[in-house]
Amino acid sequence: MMKTLMTAMMTSTSEVMETMFYLPVEFQNEPAVLNGLDNFTPHTACELKFSGDVSGRVTLVIPKDLLSEMTENFMGESRDNLKEEHLFGTLTETLNMICGNALSRVDSKIPFELDIPDMIDALKLPGTRLFSLIKTTQSMMAMTISLD
Amino acid sequence: MPYSILIVDDSLPMRSVIKRTFKAAGYGNSDFQEAANGKEALELMKNGWIDIVMTDYNMPVMNGLELIQTLKKDDILKDIPVVVVSTEGHEAKIKEFMDSGAAGYITKPFTPETIRDLIHTILGETSYDEDLDDSNDDFDF
Repeated sequence: MMKTLMTAMMTSTSEVMETMFYLPVEFQNEPAVLNGLDNFTPHTACELKFSGDVSGRVTLVIPKDLLSEMTENFMGESRDNLKEEHLFGTLTETLNMICGNALSRVDSKIPFELDIPDMIDALKLPGTRLFSLIKTTQSMMAMTISLD
Repeated sequence: MPYSILIVDDSLPMRSVIKRTFKAAGYGNSDFQEAANGKEALELMKNGWIDIVMTDYNMPVMNGLELIQTLKKDDILKDIPVVVVSTEGHEAKIKEFMDSGAAGYITKPFTPETIRDLIHTILGETSYDEDLDDSNDDFDF
């Protein structure tokens, strides 16, 4: 099931990033821990719980520079006019779109339910947790799925 | 023909994106109103004319399904078309919304063409405003 979910997440991440943010993405082959990756500092993180045939949570970590670029593209506002609520709103909406799109691709007896996404403290993420790394044109973000 | 369009979403960036997409679809001369949840939307709808409502599903206070169910019980507001704009694309979920009285359903991510086709279907008219060419310059969907 984990492999099915991750495949769906990868497809949906590409679709959302290209359609809504005009950013092509490329998944790296090997998962990695985020500690020590220079281009992830400073970063912001968001988590979304889902429930259905299986339940769990998806965590998305994005460097602040990349998030600013995404928000500019998303809202059509220049970076100077963006406030923290715009950045956080873009991050939560991005995760929401990716998860909703991905889970609708997964065969399930009952529809998956999504919680409202939560901003989380990226510094408190377990240092040993493995993330899938997603390369964009100039930066990199990371995603992980945990099942209950 | 300009429309009065109410966008209901707890995400400020998402409301902004929906508005931009409407403009790119040729509805830039419409009047756009915004609400952060179903309850706020109901208050706006009781105070002025709305041609169509575009609502998210997952929202605090009152979600999109509760908004539709409340509207359908209101003799004055029940005929205003409500389109659900959601990330959830499971067939059973879509059916639940349509059975509750939604006029349409759009899954995110979406394009101006999706909006244009939907408005044409629901309001029965394709409405390109004078700024369509200029509006499209900002988009690259």
